[in-house]
Amino acid sequence: MEFLTEGFAEAFRLVTSGDTRVLHAIWVTVLCTTTAVTLAALAAFPLGAWLGIHRRDGRGGWVFCMRVGMFTPTVVVGLLVFAVLSRRGPLGSLDLLYTQAAIVAGEFLLAFPLIVVLAHGATAALDRRVTETARTLGAGRFRTLLAVMNEARVGLVAAYLAGFARCLSELGVVMTVGGNLEMRTRTLASTISLEIRRGDFARGLACGLILLVLAVGTALLAHRLGKESRA
Amino acid sequence: MLRMVALLLVVPCALAACGDAPDAGARVRLATTTSTENSGLLRAILPAFEAESGLRVDVIAVGTGQALALGERGEADLVLVHARPLEDAFVAAGHGVERRDVMWNDFVIAGPPADPAGVRGLRDGAAALTRLAAAGATFVARGDGSGTDVREQALWRAGGGRPSWAGYLVAGQGMGPCLTIADEKRAYVLTDRGTLLAYRARLELQVLVEGDEDLRNPYGAILVNPARHAHVNAEGARALLAWLTSPAGQAAIAAFRVGEHVLFHPHVGG
Repeated sequence: MEFLTEGFAEAFRLVTSGDTRVLHAIWVTVLCTTTAVTLAALAAFPLGAWLGIHRRDGRGGWVFCMRVGMFTPTVVVGLLVFAVLSRRGPLGSLDLLYTQAAIVAGEFLLAFPLIVVLAHGATAALDRRVTETARTLGAGRFRTLLAVMNEARVGLVAAYLAGFARCLSELGVVMTVGGNLEMRTRTLASTISLEIRRGDFARGLACGLILLVLAVGTALLAHRLGKESRA
Repeated sequence: MLRMVALLLVVPCALAACGDAPDAGARVRLATTTSTENSGLLRAILPAFEAESGLRVDVIAVGTGQALALGERGEADLVLVHARPLEDAFVAAGHGVERRDVMWNDFVIAGPPADPAGVRGLRDGAAALTRLAAAGATFVARGDGSGTDVREQALWRAGGGRPSWAGYLVAGQGMGPCLTIADEKRAYVLTDRGTLLAYRARLELQVLVEGDEDLRNPYGAILVNPARHAHVNAEGARALLAWLTSPAGQAAIAAFRVGEHVLFHPHVGG
């Protein structure tokens, strides 16, 4: 028990005293996750909506692949990105391994299939009349896609959040391609894993609590967005 | 609702407890470092002890820092680690009793074959690190409270303190991942010889600095204080400690090889 109270006290101390290493880890976590998931959503929303609109036109293969991708363990995604960015890999000359860009690339791959699957689900559940109406009003393919995405926005926000949740606390990518380098690529999740190995359980718990606060913030934001789009 | 949650927690735990060895007296929990487990040493020598004593040894392989923390909380019966200052503090604080020397291996400084900082052939570990810093070389540090980390910090102190430079990367990962990072970045790294040997097929890294007395890496075993934690298996832990330091245990350690390489030297006669 003393562990939990110690953890709370330590979390408070770390944030208020401005521990630069922890603040940097918070920054890396938020920056990489937001960038990766936003990029993934920009690509995945239209693809998911397109698959949703054409759900009866034999695009099942796409959806199936994305569903499989959604289950890929984060360590495996980390290994794939590692193989590509490694000195001996095809993109080795870019020297991107162990940078924040590498983390973003890995998290993009984690979030993309998940968001496609959920966006597909949200748009496929829409009334077919949405597409038909848009077409009758003379909308081209692009405008139709936008109309469908607009109608499914509550589902798309949920899809974005799911992607965010998968990336915020993941370890497979940040350890393998980020390298957990202090003040460079160390995130909150990798700090927790390090503090546990170091035997400093209270500090690990403290970072876990900070991560939880980020999660609560994100959930609240989504809650507000959901309310507004229903109004 | 609450009852459901409680049930969800209790049932798997109960099942897991049934599946595990129910007889706690027949089980010794050994908290140790990844180097002894990853190198295959424990898998090679412990079966002889288990057959002789009828005890089962559960190996918890973590960093030295975590191994000692587990001992401090009574989550292990015996610890086998390599960081003398931390071990002495552990005993002084009353968390452990009866520290015994078991064996030693050695640290080396490995780096890229091109050796841009020119440390190849140096024998003094502290001097080599100082030269790496002066050359602004890329160096991958463990930074995880492990025995290797503790030794690295001691070597910096011996060389007059660690300067701060941009190439000093603190990875906060185990030895294996740190070797991979060093290899990818063509960087230098302080490592135990065993892990480097285990990874050598996949790496370009070469041993550049070795052989100094400063780079010796002694392993000690400490009984977790049974006066602090009534539930520790003190008898089993004492039997394992006695075996490790007995002629039979020491001979088993000396006989262990990876390929043709000797990794651990028994303390007695070593």
